[in-house]
Amino acid sequence: MRRNWWHAYALAGLVSVIVATAAFVSYRNAAFERRELGRATHAATSVSKGLRPMDNVVAAYLVSPAVPSEHYEFLRERSVTEADGSHRRLGGKNAGPFDKRIYDAANQYDKSGPFVQLVTDTDYVIAAQPASGGVAVAITTPPKGPEAFPWLVVLGLLVMGSLVCAAGTLVGGSARPLGLALGASGLAVPTFLWSGLVIALFLVACSMLIAWADWRGSLERAGRELRKGGIAYAFLTPTAMAMLVLVGIPFVVGLGLGFYNNNHGEWTFVGLDNFIQILSGDGRSLSDPLNFWFTLGVTVAWTAVNVVLHVSIGVALALVLRQRWLKGRHGFRMLLILPWAIPNYITALIWKGMFQFEYGAINSVLSTVGLDKVNWFSEWSTSFASNVATNTWLGFPFMMVVALGALENIPSDMYEAAEVDGASPWQRFHHITIPHLMPAMLPALALGAIWTFNMFNVIYLVSDGRPGGGTDILVTEAYRWAFERGERYGLAAAYATIIFLILILWTIIGSRLAKKDAE
Amino acid sequence: MNRRAPKPISQGLVYLGISMLTVIVLYPVMVILKKAFEPGRNFATSVSPVPTEFSLEHFENLLSSANSSGDLLFLRYAWNSTLVALATTIVGLCLACTAAYALSRFRFAGRRFGIATFLAVQMFPGTLLLMPLYVILHKLGLLNSLLGLVLVYATTAIPFCVWTLKGYFDSLPKELEEAARLDGASSFKIFYMIMLPLAKPGLAVTGLFSFMTAWNEFILASTFLTDDSAYTLPVLLKSSVGQYSADWGLFAAGAILTSLPVMALFYFLQRYLVGGLTAGSVKG
Amino acid sequence: MPRVLTLLFVFLLGCRADADPDSVLLWHAYSGAEQDALRESVARIEREQGIKVRLVSVPYEAFADKLTAAIPNGNGPDLFVFAHDRIGHWTANHLIEPLEYYVDDSIANRYAFEAISAMSYEGSLYGLPLAVKSVALFYRTDILKEPPSETNQLFAMNELYTHAWDGYPLVYENTNLYPHALWLHGFGGSLFDKDGQRTSLATPEAVAALTFARKLDRDKVVPGGVDARMVATLFNEGKAAMAISGPWFQNDINDDVPWAVATLPMVSDTGLAAKPFLGVEGILMSSRAKNKDRAFAVLDALTSDDDAVFRAIAAKQIVPNQAAYETSEISKNPALMAFRKQLDSTVPMSASPLMRSVWTPYQNALLKVIDQGDDVADALRSAESEMKSYAEGQQ
Repeated sequence: MRRNWWHAYALAGLVSVIVATAAFVSYRNAAFERRELGRATHAATSVSKGLRPMDNVVAAYLVSPAVPSEHYEFLRERSVTEADGSHRRLGGKNAGPFDKRIYDAANQYDKSGPFVQLVTDTDYVIAAQPASGGVAVAITTPPKGPEAFPWLVVLGLLVMGSLVCAAGTLVGGSARPLGLALGASGLAVPTFLWSGLVIALFLVACSMLIAWADWRGSLERAGRELRKGGIAYAFLTPTAMAMLVLVGIPFVVGLGLGFYNNNHGEWTFVGLDNFIQILSGDGRSLSDPLNFWFTLGVTVAWTAVNVVLHVSIGVALALVLRQRWLKGRHGFRMLLILPWAIPNYITALIWKGMFQFEYGAINSVLSTVGLDKVNWFSEWSTSFASNVATNTWLGFPFMMVVALGALENIPSDMYEAAEVDGASPWQRFHHITIPHLMPAMLPALALGAIWTFNMFNVIYLVSDGRPGGGTDILVTEAYRWAFERGERYGLAAAYATIIFLILILWTIIGSRLAKKDAE
Repeated sequence: MNRRAPKPISQGLVYLGISMLTVIVLYPVMVILKKAFEPGRNFATSVSPVPTEFSLEHFENLLSSANSSGDLLFLRYAWNSTLVALATTIVGLCLACTAAYALSRFRFAGRRFGIATFLAVQMFPGTLLLMPLYVILHKLGLLNSLLGLVLVYATTAIPFCVWTLKGYFDSLPKELEEAARLDGASSFKIFYMIMLPLAKPGLAVTGLFSFMTAWNEFILASTFLTDDSAYTLPVLLKSSVGQYSADWGLFAAGAILTSLPVMALFYFLQRYLVGGLTAGSVKG
Repeated sequence: MPRVLTLLFVFLLGCRADADPDSVLLWHAYSGAEQDALRESVARIEREQGIKVRLVSVPYEAFADKLTAAIPNGNGPDLFVFAHDRIGHWTANHLIEPLEYYVDDSIANRYAFEAISAMSYEGSLYGLPLAVKSVALFYRTDILKEPPSETNQLFAMNELYTHAWDGYPLVYENTNLYPHALWLHGFGGSLFDKDGQRTSLATPEAVAALTFARKLDRDKVVPGGVDARMVATLFNEGKAAMAISGPWFQNDINDDVPWAVATLPMVSDTGLAAKPFLGVEGILMSSRAKNKDRAFAVLDALTSDDDAVFRAIAAKQIVPNQAAYETSEISKNPALMAFRKQLDSTVPMSASPLMRSVWTPYQNALLKVIDQGDDVADALRSAESEMKSYAEGQQ
């Protein structure tokens, strides 16, 4: 009994401290800013009136208007009036350390009027006010930093709260949750002073919630659950944490970005506009490469053709390579895995060179045999074919390896028995080999399909979307929206979300079909 | 398939076929090999894969290129790549095998959800996470550091590794663990002493995959690393192909040196590859 | 095993780049001779002024993206080398620092007027020019007696050959807008309309230029499907007599090939000179540079007249510093002087953010017309519509 109140109080106290600290930080920063900005503005106004500014002022001058150069319209000079009445040009050989900031401040004043702001990366505050004959600019530093966190107050309140809580527990009955709630709410007092009634009430509500959960026994139950399944969670937690931060959060951010439009770093909320623009095909005809549905069609065709080729070539080679009588089959296998081992961006570039019109290897072979040279990237069909050739070259080793492994697991006596029974080679293949291959190939096929669907490097490096963006698949299209077409990150993010949804949908449908098959 | 070998003619045809296919498949590799040993910055226009002149100048240039402080660049980058790839493999494996074991052996709330998530995450095109990842790494203070890169690569490789390893664990018989538990061993001990050694083929495959992911990756590396002493090999390779002109000889030499470690790993781990990829799937 | 792990971990943490706070960080995308020249210049600055400059080479394709990502987060360079045509885009994103505070007339007078104007945008100066790039006509002196002076000669090249020869008269990247622009301007067209604010791609002059480019391909004057490296290969192997390329091409020509540079021919149909784009490569300062005064000192030194002469000779750059052309080393170099002459008939690339959206659609149009034989006006109109949808977010 006694242990439990300590646990519950610790939890409630933690929550209260977090809320209180957040409230304090926002209050402290806001108060600090208000004070310093006011000080800087006051200094600038003093200068504009011709008075001497007060202390904590690092530099303050009356700045002249910009005088453009005679020959160059983009060059301008300014000068300042020194204390002794002389004029000094800002910049040049005898520049003071703050000259540049003052110059920039005067420019900003010309563009957008009087202002006061904190300077990024420093603790200076700059203010600019109108003055006769130019601009009054002042730079100040804060005499002291923002308020320190009141450790003692918070600690004291926590200790007092624990006493109240303990007292409540001793009394027992309904005094226990009351004591817990009251004790943990102690920090609501300073929170009210810092951030107002709403946050303070929120803190009290949290404490009350925890007290109620404790009274109901939910906390105890949760603790038990945790300890029961704990091992599994312990195994999973590191991975889950890493994935959350480095995959989950970017993913959610990416999802959210789809609802915004990016214009030179300014994000405006546009709701579903991006999605509508994509899904309506941007008002273009179906055969226009910029139409989403066209690209989707190309991507599906790309995936289907590739997977079929990968699997058939991979399985065929595996069937050949597992023949025991084939000497040197290990050597062949080693060589045929090479395409998978070499980094794919390297080979994509080589293949692109091989498809070059005038002197690429493919056309040279064609012309040696007497056929016409083909301009590979000028027609959609040939450009698509070149991408497929490259990707098949890269992709069949994986299927070959998986098939080899599956075939090796087939016991040879099955074949012998079938032979004794008089089965023909084709029947043996159909009834023994294929059923054993399927369980291994199906997951590999699914994986290969996903990889192909999202294969960026080959499309981007080999055909680069030619002709006219026709061979772009969904991923390259999204990339171009983000980085090549005016940085429309919002549109690209919406694209990525749609790609993801398509794949999820496909997986769900696929597994439903598989389940139906199994029944 | 057949215990009796077929007739010699058929055998000969098969040998011929597979040899020709191998030559065709290897042609691009031969092109690169040729360029690496032929002097000159540009590709020659002849089709033959045999170099007309032989010179080691590209390799010399590559290995001796230094930056303004005189540090040897190529060795530095190779070291960076090795470090990153090894670390990715270790981190990726550790995180993936614990998660895969949990998903395979334990029953707990959220297990289905976990499996589904790992599958779903593989489907998201990674290139598009570039900008959010950049900001997150910046907030963590891990930009321009190899550690940040390792973390990103590891999390990219984890879904596939978990999925493969889980399948592998699924195929291992439960009797061993039950016996050990009766003897009073803790879950962690069972995992460490019994399951892991049995899962060697699966670990080999996922290790290889993680290594390759990290070793071959270019886009993330070139975006997150701004200090050129921290660059990895793919960044170096891409930078020898400039906007208007490219030093293809240097590129070819670099490509060969970059591919060698991965190929070596492949052949070293070959016998595990076949077993590891399929074991889980055979059981379904 | 745990020991190995900890060691690895420590290594990795330590492999974080330690930014030396007192040095000036400069990003560039140079390679080869230009990179060596930059390193030399930087070493000289360190000797003479005691300012340490750290050079970082960033791959060209990723350069602009890294800048846009790094600078707002405080991770970017203090200075960087880049072409002028993205200045509008970067000012809109507040990435670069205006320099009128530092630059006065005496500094500005060092450079040719077009060069320094190109580094300005909407009334502010954002950088100082390092080198100017435009294409010109390279030709092999062992195949051509003299280069053609007008385009009609391109279709009747036999008189100009030194001996009987049957290669391609000319090679250039004919599906890239950058070299194609010289025909566009030679036929009197331009990418932007009169006030320079909006693009108009489907003008009669553009149609004429594109038709001419197609004629070059159909009449086998130029080979098709050529990219930048093929241009070098064909020129080096003697399969093309002329190549249109820029100053960087000098480093790509093999040592055993005799060559020279000339200005581009006049377009016979209009009587106008074929004017290529002028690109100005300069050094710009990041708006978040840590010590701007010191960064400018480096900027100034790297674009000084002495440094310009050095770079012109060592890296074969075309420098904008007027004093450089009066030195003996440069005035005696025919290639550099030819490029200097070509500079007088060039059209500066616009730095407007719209410019970025022009390249891909126009290149698609070029591909459609030359490779696939589509109708020219249609291709240009669809390029315009493509551009509009790219630029949609840019209002």
